[in-house]
Amino acid sequence: MTTHRLLQLALRSAAVGYVALLILFPLVAIAHQSFTGGIDHFIQDISTPQASSALILTLEAAFITTVINALFGTLSAIVLVRYEFPGRWFLNALVDLPFAIPTLVTGLMIAAIYGPTTILGTWLQQGGVSVLYDKPGIVLAMLFVTMPFTIRSLQPVLMELERDQEEAAFSLGASPWTTFWKVTVPSVLPGLLTGVFLTFVRALGEFGSIVIVAGNIPMKTQVASVYVYGEIESYNPQGATSVSVFILLISFLVLVLLERLTRPPGERLPRWFRWSKQPLSMIRPSEIG
Amino acid sequence: MGASSLFALLLAWIIFSGSVLAGETRELTLAAYSVPKEAYERTIIPAFQRQWKQRTGQEVRIRSSYGASGAQTRAIIGGFDADVAVLSLEGDLDQIAKAGLISHDWRTGPHKGMVSASVVALGVRKGNPKGIKGWEDLARPGVEVLYPNPKTSGGAMWDVVAIYGAGLKLAEQQAGAGKKPSAESAEAFATSLLKRIQKNVKVMDKSGRESVTTFERGVGDVIVTYENELLPRIKSHRPYELIVPQETVWIENPASIIDKHVDRHHVRDVAEAFVAFLHSEEAQAAFTELGFRPIGQATAPTSAGTALPLPNRLFTIADLGGWETISTKLFGPHGAWTTTVEDLARGK
Amino acid sequence: MIRRLLISSVWLYFALLLISPILYLAVHSFDEGIAAFWSEVTKPEALHGFLLTIEITAIVLVLNLVFGTITALVLVRQHFIGRTILSGVIDLPFSVSPVIAGFMLILLFGPETILGTFFGTLGVKVLFAMPAMVLATLFATFPFVVRELTPLLQTIGTDAEEAARTLGANEWQVFLKVTLPMLRWGFVYGATLTVARAIGEFGAVLVVSGNILLVTQTATLHIYQSYVDFNYVGANAVALTLLAVSFAILTLLELTKAKAAATVA
Repeated sequence: MTTHRLLQLALRSAAVGYVALLILFPLVAIAHQSFTGGIDHFIQDISTPQASSALILTLEAAFITTVINALFGTLSAIVLVRYEFPGRWFLNALVDLPFAIPTLVTGLMIAAIYGPTTILGTWLQQGGVSVLYDKPGIVLAMLFVTMPFTIRSLQPVLMELERDQEEAAFSLGASPWTTFWKVTVPSVLPGLLTGVFLTFVRALGEFGSIVIVAGNIPMKTQVASVYVYGEIESYNPQGATSVSVFILLISFLVLVLLERLTRPPGERLPRWFRWSKQPLSMIRPSEIG
Repeated sequence: MGASSLFALLLAWIIFSGSVLAGETRELTLAAYSVPKEAYERTIIPAFQRQWKQRTGQEVRIRSSYGASGAQTRAIIGGFDADVAVLSLEGDLDQIAKAGLISHDWRTGPHKGMVSASVVALGVRKGNPKGIKGWEDLARPGVEVLYPNPKTSGGAMWDVVAIYGAGLKLAEQQAGAGKKPSAESAEAFATSLLKRIQKNVKVMDKSGRESVTTFERGVGDVIVTYENELLPRIKSHRPYELIVPQETVWIENPASIIDKHVDRHHVRDVAEAFVAFLHSEEAQAAFTELGFRPIGQATAPTSAGTALPLPNRLFTIADLGGWETISTKLFGPHGAWTTTVEDLARGK
Repeated sequence: MIRRLLISSVWLYFALLLISPILYLAVHSFDEGIAAFWSEVTKPEALHGFLLTIEITAIVLVLNLVFGTITALVLVRQHFIGRTILSGVIDLPFSVSPVIAGFMLILLFGPETILGTFFGTLGVKVLFAMPAMVLATLFATFPFVVRELTPLLQTIGTDAEEAARTLGANEWQVFLKVTLPMLRWGFVYGATLTVARAIGEFGAVLVVSGNILLVTQTATLHIYQSYVDFNYVGANAVALTLLAVSFAILTLLELTKAKAAATVA
């Protein structure tokens, strides 16, 4: 075997080994817990009235969050890339902040600002809009923690797109419509899909902020992660792990779907992935990530 | 470095380790539930350290952890090597014993292993705008009630037990003097009271403490919690009033050494002394300072000094059949609380 | 104009969702004045928390950079059965609730398990000590470096490296002199996100650390402790400090990017 091939295999084992140890292994431990009673028990665990309500609520809220995030995230990404305006650096730096804020703090902040003692809180209450301890609160918390995903997945794509669009417009004399369908959409789609799918997956697993802003009333305002916590705390680890495994399965399927949709078909790379013929020195660092 | 400096270094090291060995330092790990943190950190732990130093000349370093009683229990079972466990429910200690970590009968200590006591009480806003006097008021429409989720909070279990037991007592009262209601009708009434109150609950936090902080944020008209949670807050000038219903449950919190860990760490003597210290006058005074009741008050109401009167129709866990029984009856898969919540969600 | 409308909408979105809660936090950290803020942020428990967080973050950063790079390279450059599965697994930590993440570690390293007893006999404490806290944080931050590098690697392709190889460079030289520099911004960005996320890790660490005062309480655990001790000013003050540090790192990144773009253009 050539050293190159050997190196390749060594790297592959290192990567697979690390991922297996760190991620797969623990997840298998969880799955093992949930299937100790067989698959019937697993199905039973996830179809109890409380478990199924929690799962449905979580999927609903995550879906709504994803839609809102897709819309406003796309808008934000476009604005942040296309336009120069005072304070743009500020907004850009803010985008990643939800990653850094402990979910506990997110929950406390939202509960504080929408609580009954603040202006915003009382104003909403009088308007008959119940945010805190109700479903809108759950969506709000999910929105907060998933905010970076769409924006960050779209920005690099849009930056690359800018140059491509100009090129296409100049060299082909194409109409804006053609440019949109033949250039914009295929280029933007992978980034958009990545952002959207990651948002959904992330929202499914959120716990720390939701447990504070939601009422957590079983079968009414209790999401899956809070239900799982309750089951662990009341000595029902099997019920807890079953629901968790179910959520993980959904997430896994979503992520696999994403990989399939954004992977270049075979070896041929679509336009977005293909690097232009420019020498490396001309690549502006700001376009990368 | 010359030979002489090396020698000096060696000498210094010998002296240093020698002095450390002479005034040995022992280490004790404490896992406690969150409510009595102040009592332990401010008073009990320093007092114990002084006492131990006086008695043996040794320093005791105490590593302490505070969290929800159930969470601490699970941590200990999951490997957290606490030497002493101070928990909210005796059921939690039993879980640890069941896992094989406690090999002695912890109930044979003074006061059957209990170190602190309290009652379930109600907290309302200053001025009591909703006019809360007793449990039935919590069931009135328009009254927002707060208590945590019994699935995750030991405190909430005490709260729900209090409501249910109060229901039984109220059924007795309604039956009239000298007459006793049938077990079924009393239980039916208690369950209906629980349901009517649970209907007014919009938020269930995951721990008792978090429930109080939610109340502090202006949510809810009345909170059901430990009396010793409310008293310190009121003492710190928070605008609340304490209402102790006449029918409520007597709370007792246990403490025990964890045999497996104390033997592994060779600190059995320190750990046993610490638990014994919890029953001392000094420690008990620290508890009452924080709003706990004297441990023996339920059985000897006029003994130890406290300004807190004993409720007229107080009941204990023993009266309800013990934790295992009442726990299954209320929180089991077909328990009164469990079915109540499900019924309410279905709009029944 | 449309431009103005769009920019204002974005500002409004950010203001409502992001800026107002943070502003609220900032204002209420100073409810009892600057002196109180300062004493809360410098008391022993807070300082210990900060130190512990820094330690864990540093370890996690190094491990993620190394293994994240390897994984990204393998994912993009190599084709093998199970590549799709590997890719799907990498992002799973995002959807695992921290309660479960912590629970997983207890299932794996608990006292009755193979791993648990193995490390026990070696005298190494995993759970309720530093190793478990690092593992929990590692789990949560793993996707970041990989996800920053994969699109970059896909975009860049192997042209430059092939060129270098034909010019006679060996694998190591190719890696150091060609690959790494091209990935520079992916590293910077991945590192920034990893650090930001590691600083903010809470749920899983709460479960596996034992929450021992002045021993295993990270900054976020200290915030939680302060909150349940009714010390709101303390909780807010330390939270604000963490936010400020993360924001500073993120701003630094933004400014560096802008400067680099300006010099190249």
